[in-house]
Amino acid sequence: MISLTKLTKTFNGPPAVDDVTLSVPEGGFLVLLGPSGCGKSTMLRMLAGLETPTSGTIRFGDTVVADGARITPPDKRDAGLVFQSYALWPHMTVAGNVDWPLKVAGTPNRAGRVAEALKMMGIADLAHRYPGEISGGQQQRVALARMIAPRPKFLLFDEPLSNLDATLRVEMRHELSRLHKTTGATAVYVTHDQIEAMTLATHVAVMNRGRVEQFASPLDLLAKPATAFVARFVGTPPANLIPIRDGAWLARLPDAALRGATGHAMVRAEDLTLATGPRSLSAELMEAIPMAGQLLVTGAVGGHRITCVAPAGTPLTRDLHFALPDAPGAIFDIEGNPIR
Amino acid sequence: MMRSIPGAGLTCAVLSILIVLVAAPLATIAIDTFGSPAWAEVLNSRLSRNLFWKPLGTTLLLGTGVAFGCVLIGGFLAWLVTMTDVPFRRSIGFMATLPFMIPSFATALAWGTLFRNSRAGGSTGLLEGLGLGVPDWLAWGLVPTTLVLIAHYYALAFTVISASLSSVNGDLVEAAQMSGASRRRILFGIILPVVMPAMLAGGSLAFAGAVSNFAAPALLGLPVRMQTLSTRLFGMIEIGQTERGYILAFLLILVSALFLGAGNRILSGRRSFATITGKGTRNKPQALGAARIPLCALALAICFVTTVLPIVLLVSASFAPMSSALFSDWTLHFWVGAADPAFARGQAGVFRNPQLMTALWMTLGLGACVALTATVIGLLAAVALNGRRIPVLTELTAQLGFLPMLLPGIAFGAAYIALYGAPIGPFPALYGTPLLLGLALTAATLPFAVQTGRATVAQISGDVEEAARMTGAGFFRRLGAITLPLARRGMIAGGLLTFVSVIGDLAIVVLLYTPSTPVLSVLSYRYASDGFHQFANAVTILILVLSVAATLIARRTR
Repeated sequence: MISLTKLTKTFNGPPAVDDVTLSVPEGGFLVLLGPSGCGKSTMLRMLAGLETPTSGTIRFGDTVVADGARITPPDKRDAGLVFQSYALWPHMTVAGNVDWPLKVAGTPNRAGRVAEALKMMGIADLAHRYPGEISGGQQQRVALARMIAPRPKFLLFDEPLSNLDATLRVEMRHELSRLHKTTGATAVYVTHDQIEAMTLATHVAVMNRGRVEQFASPLDLLAKPATAFVARFVGTPPANLIPIRDGAWLARLPDAALRGATGHAMVRAEDLTLATGPRSLSAELMEAIPMAGQLLVTGAVGGHRITCVAPAGTPLTRDLHFALPDAPGAIFDIEGNPIR
Repeated sequence: MMRSIPGAGLTCAVLSILIVLVAAPLATIAIDTFGSPAWAEVLNSRLSRNLFWKPLGTTLLLGTGVAFGCVLIGGFLAWLVTMTDVPFRRSIGFMATLPFMIPSFATALAWGTLFRNSRAGGSTGLLEGLGLGVPDWLAWGLVPTTLVLIAHYYALAFTVISASLSSVNGDLVEAAQMSGASRRRILFGIILPVVMPAMLAGGSLAFAGAVSNFAAPALLGLPVRMQTLSTRLFGMIEIGQTERGYILAFLLILVSALFLGAGNRILSGRRSFATITGKGTRNKPQALGAARIPLCALALAICFVTTVLPIVLLVSASFAPMSSALFSDWTLHFWVGAADPAFARGQAGVFRNPQLMTALWMTLGLGACVALTATVIGLLAAVALNGRRIPVLTELTAQLGFLPMLLPGIAFGAAYIALYGAPIGPFPALYGTPLLLGLALTAATLPFAVQTGRATVAQISGDVEEAARMTGAGFFRRLGAITLPLARRGMIAGGLLTFVSVIGDLAIVVLLYTPSTPVLSVLSYRYASDGFHQFANAVTILILVLSVAATLIARRTR
């Protein structure tokens, strides 16, 4: 189990991580999701022990590893970290990279541990190569092998897939998921890619400006976004957030379902249909992308992009009409907070 | 329609220029000495101990000392600037690259101003003037030569090592921290091994520079009969023993190329690049704590002693009648004074020396012509190398363009005398003409010019070039309308730096100059070896002023 209480980190200026409290059960997979600069990497580095919190506590299992500025050093936390750059030591072979942390820790039967980790990542035949001589995907596997060789109870990942191409990313995502299941360790994973978050996580913390906007399971995140920021950030395609004023769509189409609110109404792409009617918005066709046997149709409505899912083969004209559902999925005020 | 291989003409043209400038002179000394009885004289005879083996020993000792000193000082400064929170990091980093801009004979002259004692006759330096006895080992010979060359070449080691250190990804260190390694263990287990290739490379570059240097051992060693390979080679050719001279040149090239080649090999080796992939976090600067101020003071002192101090000494010594009383009785005599039998043995001020004005114009003219020619050849070579590969020819062009890098200047000068010193067929001998100096200097600066050219071409070729090709514009049209305008700034800066290295060169021109083709550096050297130190200082200051001005303009341009 990992639990954070009122965790805060300030460098110079506004806090990078602001009063975060959450907890993940043992064996869970927590994804910290958010745009760059939202504080997710700082949070991970505090978990790793590379950064000292300004205040708040971090608990790994029953052990307090950070209580304000009193922290346990990184190697005493039983945690392994994979860096975005992999941080492989260029002057050591693949086996040497995996071996060195074991050597520092004075682990017995190192050769066996190294062989086991390399085999688990499927790179046993690369043992004597140097990092500069292998591909990016292979380097990634070396970094993972180096992390798991000491058998840590906590696995930390800092955007590990962002340097890989699309095909490799899918493959490694699967690999990570398998690794998490076989080791049974608790994982914390930083990313700005919501698809990675949705596929890997048991828990997602969506972060924005140092604060957790929502902490929930991937499905809850999609079903009940807590803020307009979350609604805009998750989902494929992300939900439409259509401006509303005084209970009228785009300030010109009054609708009782909007309950007189001003802010944004969330309408999922699958809840919109291409049809005319009294409750429809006229739009100009921007693009249509075939996807999974259906068509993602995006149109411009008064300067806003709106996307809907249409059946494949739907005839498209330059002028479109998006028919609105009976009620929006959620309504948010100007600040982005939900109106219930 | 069939066409000949595009670019073949250009490659052939560049290659012929390189053959004339680089390959032919080298081939000449090889052929001239092939099977010559002089080989036995140099390597295995009663003479060979003094002729070759002793100078070789001194040269290797000098190279090793300079290499160690440079890695130590350059590495220390590089560590301070890239890895710690020392104050004035940027200024230290900037100043640590400057000594390379100061010709080594300037530093050597400044050393004399301070440390010269009465052993070699003539006036003594400031320290003796203050009543401090300067022992011979500190005034002359191996120790001062080594120190002067360290002061000159540590900038090279600094540049190479700091580039490598700053590429040591912060993640590499943090990954080691995650495993619980101590600071000591991280230093010896991770940082040093990662930077080791750069330290070795920096060391071998400094070694090669030191063994080929002529000015420092000539000014500080020759008066006490210390000979290195380069001063020995100079002496042999001066007294007409050209064949022995050529053999020494050949051997000197071998020694220096061995180490430069090793350095370049290490730098491009498979383990040389610290950053394997991706963007890492920036290094957290190491907190120095209480050592912050003392280390900063030490670094600033090193920079001051190797850049500002020599210049201050030279300037004051060019005004003071006695360098033993450096700051009293200042006079302009050494600059503009008329000949006076009672003063400076009747020697007139440098501006009264008719040779000076000739030398000044000759130096400026040579600098400008060589910079221009080398830049143009460098650009053409870069275009040719960037284009379609032609088996053998392309590779040969690349190698010949790089080769002068491995050649000590004085050996290069010897090779030029060997080839162009005598008439070739219908062409008259070039000896005694500025053309000979120009050709040799152009060839010597080619590697840098080709490098600059390649950097520029790499920057602008590709899409931009192809877009122009789509319009149907021919090669020269594209060169004039697209490539040159885009490359202009980089090339002007490169040209100016070539200019600086030409006007500060002594090693190449010292064998090639004649009274009808004087240049400033040789003039300064002649003054110094005749014991007229103030005059030598004055001329050196002229060179420094020109160098600094050109360097500043080059920085502005970029």
